Amino acid sequence: MILLCATRLLAQDTALPSGSININLAKDSPVTLVGMISNESRATARGAALVLDLHMALTFRNAGASRIHGVMLRVVSQEVTLGGKGSVTIPSMNIAPGEAFPVRIDMQLVRPTQMAGGPLVEVDLDGVLYQDLSFYGPDRMHSRRYLTACEVEAQRDREYLKRVLAQGGKEGLRQEIFQIGGRQQAAPLSVKVVPHGPAVTSAALPPEHPEKFAFVEFPDSPVEAVQGWAQVAGNEARAPNIEVRNRSAKPVKYVELGWVLTDQAGRQSVAASLPSAERDLYLAPDKTFTVRQDTTLRLFSNSGQPVNVQKMTGFVNQVEFADGKVWVPNRKSLQDPALLKAVAPSAEEQRLANLYNRGGIEVLVEELKKF
Amino acid sequence: MKHPNQATLALHAGGDLGFFARWRTERHLAQCESCRDEIAAFEGIRETLPELSEIPEIQWSRLAAEMKANVRLGLAAGECVGNGGSSARTTRLFTGARAAVALASIVTMVATGVLLQNTTPARADQRTVVQSTEDGIQVGTGDQAFRLMNTGVSADNVTLSVGAQGSMGARYVDPKTGYVTINSVYAE
Repeated sequence: MILLCATRLLAQDTALPSGSININLAKDSPVTLVGMISNESRATARGAALVLDLHMALTFRNAGASRIHGVMLRVVSQEVTLGGKGSVTIPSMNIAPGEAFPVRIDMQLVRPTQMAGGPLVEVDLDGVLYQDLSFYGPDRMHSRRYLTACEVEAQRDREYLKRVLAQGGKEGLRQEIFQIGGRQQAAPLSVKVVPHGPAVTSAALPPEHPEKFAFVEFPDSPVEAVQGWAQVAGNEARAPNIEVRNRSAKPVKYVELGWVLTDQAGRQSVAASLPSAERDLYLAPDKTFTVRQDTTLRLFSNSGQPVNVQKMTGFVNQVEFADGKVWVPNRKSLQDPALLKAVAPSAEEQRLANLYNRGGIEVLVEELKKF
Repeated sequence: MKHPNQATLALHAGGDLGFFARWRTERHLAQCESCRDEIAAFEGIRETLPELSEIPEIQWSRLAAEMKANVRLGLAAGECVGNGGSSARTTRLFTGARAAVALASIVTMVATGVLLQNTTPARADQRTVVQSTEDGIQVGTGDQAFRLMNTGVSADNVTLSVGAQGSMGARYVDPKTGYVTINSVYAE
């Protein structure tokens, strides 16, 4: 028995054997795996669970004939219990046919040790988005919609920055990048989410009451938010319900709203995106639908102190039509004072700002010319 | 002949040795039957381990206290017996019957520890909570949690996004690849 225990202790922190990670690519996959380094990955036994620290450096090659603009990988440890499913997405790419590109995965996953047999971690290709917005992949994680929205935002932001460059020159572009940096660091509030049902409320919280949403209207939005409310108590807001109407001429299959919370000091933050939950949503023109989620948000300052919810604002953040096309708000809409400090920079803005920080204005200008 | 230590043999049995250590150990094993037997024993243990992992974690501190109390009880009983009759030094330390009783006692203590552990389950909050941490994002239920690390990126350069359906994402520019990377976890 002592020997058994000692052996178990020895096994508590070990390197992952190479066979424990499976990279699954279909035979017709437009990307191929060129290399994988995972020798820093560790497995640590904790009671009845196994904690996997995954540090994988993967290299893929674009084996297709078109430029790749986005990739999503699905990472699964176990499907049934907490701690098993994640994804790693690389948007805003521009990978030519034959070109290789790296993807790093740094995750910590937990799985029960009694699930013996088979690889510890499975990495699947969930989707690839091309320059022309065509798509390849099983799309189990809705990567088509996600990558398309990222790409549409990227095109919008590149066009905007090109206009800034044309009108204001390099100095104008530099000032715009500074503003992106300021928005990146502006989030003054943090949020904890309890996905299902009310949280364990403290006796110190005031009684719950329904609070109405104020909506920011975007004139070009195909969907409008009609009315909505959520239950609010102290620093908690839960069970949001928002009625939306399709005012476009095309049927809609997905709506996502932004949910902005403001505290008593006037600090605001996009607390969450509020997606339509129904998998088979079909919202015909002029029809209404209620977006609801059984979820609770808790609002905190960045120092970790609970802050009371003073006001809630909603806006339509994304719409997917039945034909697969995706709408996102334009730049002018996002300049609304109610959103300006709350909405974070897009992935493309983040990439271009980073490019400027690393290489300066000339590198940024050259990058914009590539598109 | 210098033998590899027990840890090296255990790691070799599990296929967890590095290239050079494995090569050196295999050279030794080719000419050492006793170490080969040790390896075979470790491999047998590894087959037993999945079953062992299904046993709830034992509270060693509680078990140790109970063992200490039993040892004291045994010593006190020994003194009583010693006062009443023959000297302990004149008898053999372990007869077959005594060894069996001692083994049965240890097994009973371990079983009692396991049972006690099961009768007082932890009352952790079983709700799933999604939140940001200092160096990443985390999904947790009770004492289980997992985290996505923003490796080599300061918190100021990470954009967090929350899905009200129970997901969280961390977006940052990977300093090693230069690409925007979005890690997401799903609590549903």
